[in-house]
Amino acid sequence: MKVKEWMRSRSLLSRYLLIIATAVLFIPVIIPLTLIGYGVFSAMNNEDLPKEYEPYTSISALETMWHQEALGLDGASAEAVGRRLQELSGQYDRAAMFWVDGAGGTRLVLPWREGPEAREIPVIPQRWSAAEAIAFMKSSAKLEPLAIVAFIGDRADAGEGFMVMQIPEYLRDDVQLYSGLESWYMVMLLLFFVLFILISLLFFNGIRRRLLRLQTAMAFGGEDGLPQPIAPGKPDEIGRLEDAFNTMIAELTASRQREAEEEGLRRRLVADLSHDLRTPLTVIRSHLHVLGKEEVSPRGKESLQLMDERIEGLSLLIENLLSYNLLSSGKMQLSLERRDVLRLARAGAAAWYPLWEKEGFTADIDLEGEPLYWNVDESWFRRILDNLFQNILRHARSGRYVGVAAEVREGRRVLVISDHGAGMGQSTEAKGAGLGLAIVDLLLKRMELDWKAESSGQGTEIVIYRPL
Amino acid sequence: MSVTLLYVEDDREIGSAVSADLREREYAVRWLESGEGAVEAAAGCQLAILDVMLPGLDGFTVGQRLKRAFPELPVLMLTARASIDDKLQGLDFADDYVTKPFHPDELAARIEVLLRRSGASAAAQLQLKHLLVSDGGQQITGAGGREIVLTGKQFQIFSYLLRHLGQILTKEQIYEAVWGEPYLEGDKTLMVHIRYLREKLELDPAAPEIIETVRGIGYRVRA
Repeated sequence: MKVKEWMRSRSLLSRYLLIIATAVLFIPVIIPLTLIGYGVFSAMNNEDLPKEYEPYTSISALETMWHQEALGLDGASAEAVGRRLQELSGQYDRAAMFWVDGAGGTRLVLPWREGPEAREIPVIPQRWSAAEAIAFMKSSAKLEPLAIVAFIGDRADAGEGFMVMQIPEYLRDDVQLYSGLESWYMVMLLLFFVLFILISLLFFNGIRRRLLRLQTAMAFGGEDGLPQPIAPGKPDEIGRLEDAFNTMIAELTASRQREAEEEGLRRRLVADLSHDLRTPLTVIRSHLHVLGKEEVSPRGKESLQLMDERIEGLSLLIENLLSYNLLSSGKMQLSLERRDVLRLARAGAAAWYPLWEKEGFTADIDLEGEPLYWNVDESWFRRILDNLFQNILRHARSGRYVGVAAEVREGRRVLVISDHGAGMGQSTEAKGAGLGLAIVDLLLKRMELDWKAESSGQGTEIVIYRPL
Repeated sequence: MSVTLLYVEDDREIGSAVSADLREREYAVRWLESGEGAVEAAAGCQLAILDVMLPGLDGFTVGQRLKRAFPELPVLMLTARASIDDKLQGLDFADDYVTKPFHPDELAARIEVLLRRSGASAAAQLQLKHLLVSDGGQQITGAGGREIVLTGKQFQIFSYLLRHLGQILTKEQIYEAVWGEPYLEGDKTLMVHIRYLREKLELDPAAPEIIETVRGIGYRVRA
């Protein structure tokens, strides 16, 4: 259908304007239509009208007929008038008839022959004075019952009296029932407005449904957290909005994919690099070990030990470099969960304790008290502790002390890791601690935690806390 | 009968050095250069050492296949990949994870821990100071040949410590392993049990030598 296509391709505005224009144009159309409808309807009704009512449908026709008869009786004798009335009464058996002679005496009263009032004799004065004539005319003016009056000879000055035909009320009511043209109009207009409101409602409901569909699509993400594209609809304003939405989703998906690819590439590169750097170190280390088992002088043993330590340090440096690369790209996903950090610190210290023991460190661990819950990524928090402990072992060796404690400072609970080394920046000991601390800083920021370091010649204190 | 280790490593230099070192430590070593046939070769082995970056099947896949075929077989990942993601992926199924470059002594120590935990250790009997412990703590003989009988919970705690010989275990770790429910801070149950355990095991419970308290952290049974 061409019209349908045209409707589909129009904008919402033009479609609604079309509805309004149709409604406005329809008002001049609806009046003739109503008339035609009325004509058809009443024609149909006329057939339905009882046959015996037919002579009474048009009062004016009756009036004409009555006046014709009256004219025909001009100069007729009282008997002739009576006879004619008898005949007419036979024809119009639902009407009552009587006539009054020129002297004002009622001459013949013919009652209603059919209908509910049949055989009842209309109440009519026997003799007509002027007052009675006026009273009669007043009541017939109120149409109770309708009276058609004609002077015999059809002129008052003929002085031959007058004849009256009375049509009962029920007959007029029944006939009139079929002629409510005004109420017909009202019903049609009402119908028309109801139709208009209905169409408008359907129109807006259609818009509303489509907007809701769009909103639902925007609000609920799929597996990858992005909203799913929606099926294309009509090419109107909402359709264009849906298209724009789909384009946006496609772009977002593509960009996510690009990011994931880049991330994957970076990870692979890091993993490969790590592998390529560590493999030769492993080989060197195992050869050092083999060498150590040979006959070596004490000085040789010492150098082997130093080389081994350097390899360990290099390995750590590689790990930190690669971690820093991944972390600083901001692509690394941390899974933050509510964890008792005292418990994590205890587990971390347990892993490092044997090394501290071996190196002759005094470990002062005071993590008693209520659990301290922070939102952290467990493995990366462990990494923070490892880096800090590593730094102490490598750069604060001279103090031979490590302290891990939960304390209350400035009204909040904090985690304090301290040493008795020569302090940061104060000596050559601290060189190389930077990368480890940069990772600590990055990780703590990602966990919405903060830290500060207080360092002096007597040692360093790292305080980790949750900002208020 | 010596303990047999399955070792999968594609780098010949590292492979031969590690195999030689492990053989020196009196382990029988089955060294494969790729993951192909690892499941078949693992029959009769007490422990598997896997490199992650292998040609063909990677170490994670090989490890998972091994675990499916031999759920009891301890798997130690030996790898040059040290990122936390790799560690987490490895520890999903593996029992331990050692990054390269490792010290051969460290590898040997980790192997020993895993073997002891799985009950396949070469040392069926363990001498701890004055105690002679057999069958992972099932039988304990004290000073003067006196047999020591432990209650259920005491045995569970002691055998857990023995399985992690030399490692420091936190209160939470021990409590959760033995009771199987989360440890609540301030709970004294474990302390009370350790006290009774010490009364049975130690020569002088006031100065414990077997179960050592590591202040602020937990407990340890030293080898």
